[in-house]
Amino acid sequence: MLRRLIVALLVLGALALLTISFRSPTSGVLHDVQGTGASILRPFQIAAERVARPFRDAYGYFDGLASAKSENTKLRRELRDWRAQATANAAGSRRAAELEKLLAYETGPTYPTNYRPVNTSVISFPTGPFSQQVAIAAGSSSGIGINTPVVSADGLVGRVTNVVSSTAVVTLLTDPDSAVAARDLTTGVSGLIRHGPGSTLILDQVSKQLRVHKGDLIVTQGTRDRRYPDLYPYGIPIGRVISVGTSDIASYLTVQVAPFASLASLDSVAALVVTKRAAKLP
Amino acid sequence: MNVVDGVKAAALLFLAAIMQVSIFAQVHILGGVPDVLLVMLVAVALLRGAIVGAAGGFFAGLLVDTASLGRLGLTSLVLTVAGYWIGRYGETTGRDRAHAPFLSVAVVTILYSFGLLLVHFVLGDRAPAGAMLRGLLPAIALNLILTAPVYAVVRRVLRPYDRSDLATEVQLLG
Repeated sequence: MLRRLIVALLVLGALALLTISFRSPTSGVLHDVQGTGASILRPFQIAAERVARPFRDAYGYFDGLASAKSENTKLRRELRDWRAQATANAAGSRRAAELEKLLAYETGPTYPTNYRPVNTSVISFPTGPFSQQVAIAAGSSSGIGINTPVVSADGLVGRVTNVVSSTAVVTLLTDPDSAVAARDLTTGVSGLIRHGPGSTLILDQVSKQLRVHKGDLIVTQGTRDRRYPDLYPYGIPIGRVISVGTSDIASYLTVQVAPFASLASLDSVAALVVTKRAAKLP
Repeated sequence: MNVVDGVKAAALLFLAAIMQVSIFAQVHILGGVPDVLLVMLVAVALLRGAIVGAAGGFFAGLLVDTASLGRLGLTSLVLTVAGYWIGRYGETTGRDRAHAPFLSVAVVTILYSFGLLLVHFVLGDRAPAGAMLRGLLPAIALNLILTAPVYAVVRRVLRPYDRSDLATEVQLLG
């Protein structure tokens, strides 16, 4: 009986202390008593800490040795993750810049009327020198069809030659089968843009009597006769003339054009989908 | 239980409380923290019974809460109950059994952890049960490692009662 009474008193005492310290944790008599008690105990704690310090240091030393290898592995893993993150950030930054350029083009004065852009990204690139096609992450569900022109922020890229619901294949200007009606914006000379040596293009079918100058801007020709509508709207920048040559036996000028679009490193592109109003044109 | 025994038990618990607050509280092994005070209390309670266990728990908890400037009475409450239970176990079934200290330490470590968690929870403090559970098994193992040496020291300081000290007959009253 006495035992239970003592225990009950102790528990009640603990609860009382707990209640008082809970209600006034930073002030009051109990807090002052506790502070005094802590001051009295402090020397004992310091003494214990000093006695234990050599052992703790020794433990810390050996623990550090034991964990150094695993820590090294962990740090290497973190470094790899951060490096991947930095690469992703750099790629994201570059993509953002391209999208900004693309947006500037789409809202600029050279953007063709009656076309709406379907902004998308390139999801596969030419697999070798014999393939001049890329796949984009948008398809017929976005309104893209066969022969839909595709541009980047810099200029014309090519046209869609195969399309499914969510993906389309774009044949680049550098493909041997590609031919785009184009004109020299300075002189008004017309011709056909075809693939040229290396990563350049050729403005073909330009008579020797006509004048084309180095540095001239080449854009798409667009539809000249409504009965024969062109695949590309007028005015999409294609490239700049980098050399003009001729020979006695050739019927046409040899006009070499450097494309504006970086066809080897495309990332963000826009497919130009004809709006309904334009589709009603004959 | 005489006064000398009480002073010895208080000295042992005082030493253990100071060591716990100053040294052992900083030792983290596999997420567990050894509790030499709890082991010491178990040893004292097993050897001197429920009253000493409860009073020792109260006293040791008060020391811990004072030294760490924690909430007064919180540790006392849990250790009082723990000391009483272990003392009762020592007075009854645990007496003279070799495994009693180890079993008591293992059980009390679990109950003490959950008791503290419960009190913190009731008071509305931050009570991360997940962290406590993760460190529970290592803490039990560490406390069990401490049990043999601590119990040996306490047994040397507080000698177990002889058979003659214990009640040998009953007297019917009335």
